[in-house]
Amino acid sequence: MTAHPDRWRKPHMIESPLLRYALYFGILAYLVLTIATLPIDWLRAAEGLERAGRIFNGAFPPSFDRSELLISGFLESLKIAIIASTGGMLLSIPLAFMAASNISPKPIYYLGRGTIIIARSFHPVIVAIIFVKAVGFGPLAGALTLIVYSIGFVAKLLAERIEEIDFGQVEAVRAAGAPFLSTVFYTIFPQIMPRMIGLGIYQLDSNLRASAVVGIVGAGGIGSTLANAFGRYDYDFALAITMVIVGAILISEAVSGVIRKRLL
Amino acid sequence: MLEIKKLVKRYGKGSPVLQDLDLVVQGEQVMSIIGSSGAGKSTLLRCVNRLVEPTSGSITLNGTDFTTLSSRELRSARRRVGMVFQGYNLVDRLTVMENVQSGRLGYISTWAALTRRFPKEDIQRAYELMERVGIAQYASKRADELSGGERQRVGVVRALMQRPEILLADEPTASLDPKTSEQIMALLRDLASELNLPVIINIHNVNEAKEYSDRIVGMRYGRIIFDDVPSALDTAQMDEIYSGTPSEDREAQGAMA
Repeated sequence: MTAHPDRWRKPHMIESPLLRYALYFGILAYLVLTIATLPIDWLRAAEGLERAGRIFNGAFPPSFDRSELLISGFLESLKIAIIASTGGMLLSIPLAFMAASNISPKPIYYLGRGTIIIARSFHPVIVAIIFVKAVGFGPLAGALTLIVYSIGFVAKLLAERIEEIDFGQVEAVRAAGAPFLSTVFYTIFPQIMPRMIGLGIYQLDSNLRASAVVGIVGAGGIGSTLANAFGRYDYDFALAITMVIVGAILISEAVSGVIRKRLL
Repeated sequence: MLEIKKLVKRYGKGSPVLQDLDLVVQGEQVMSIIGSSGAGKSTLLRCVNRLVEPTSGSITLNGTDFTTLSSRELRSARRRVGMVFQGYNLVDRLTVMENVQSGRLGYISTWAALTRRFPKEDIQRAYELMERVGIAQYASKRADELSGGERQRVGVVRALMQRPEILLADEPTASLDPKTSEQIMALLRDLASELNLPVIINIHNVNEAKEYSDRIVGMRYGRIIFDDVPSALDTAQMDEIYSGTPSEDREAQGAMA
């Protein structure tokens, strides 16, 4: 009987120890170097702390005196979010089909992927700045921004879901001589429907949050109200707005959580 | 009548999966194709309705050469060929009725399909066939609520809804338990004679093939090496059909070339 070893070690991901330790050392050295060379002015930060203290002092207690402005700003944000989610979903569905490699021929696939990549490559704030320049201050710029933002997210995830479908179902209906669109409606949509509904709900939630951010650069909604309040040193009003935003997001998270659980 | 002449299928640049294959199927006979995995059974069946594109050769069903059809013509021609799959390939999230009616999608407009406005005679025909195979009570149930045997019955009805001129079954019983498997084989045999329908079945279970078919074709590495009535299939021929592996065959061919 031969003696078998009683010890076994999982092989390292990077086999060569020299390369492994060189990599560890490199990462560490870069980190130290970065912190050492970044121009951080500690003196100024300390002064700023004092200013922050003043802002917080001014913010308490929060003021709901101008609640009319607050409510109208919030409702505008809600409208922006709903329009952007609907528009984003409607545009994302065809785009997702274009960008699914198992459905689309190569040129259309690249066109779809390219569009999604462009929609994804800029942060909503940058897109919002461009749209504010293009169509002026206000909710239209916000809605357009969030439509682009929704496409980048929904179309990408939906395209990935389409690529994961059970193609046997498609093959079966195709073998019965069904035309292209009928095949899509009968075999692909039923398979991606749960994901589509989930993404739609998530996107509504996420657009509401993002609409507050893009508002700060002038794209309408409660973000604009918040930016104005800061501009006029109304820190107590600003705190009230922030509290409403947090509350609204908590509620929308809870609601979408419940809906997703019930539905899927 | 289905007539296959000099059919060749080659994937990429590799050696062909089907090599100059000739086959004629007529009448209401049930024909079983046996052979080890990789012998080309599934490819042969899929070439008939061009789910797999043949490399060369001709496939003629009642006067129509399928290999020369344009994609539009192919779509209407496919309605004449019913197909049953190993994994059933039902749309799980749709009802049994919708699955069954998807066999008629080639005949109704996309709008009618989308709004589920199926022609009256199609609905009637669906109930008739579902009752024949014993699943009429499930019409409004979702397909994924059914058992394996029931699901394959839905698959059979979907194919029959096409009023096909031939029925192709690609290992229809491979996912089923032995008893259900026999029921499905018996159903296919009975339907063949009731509907005057030729049926081709790819199957791994040789005993079932012998019991339920009128004719057995044995394939090995892209060629037909046996073609006769079931009683003519003896142990020696079985051994020849199932001996070796496709890779050994490929090597042997390579050595010859």
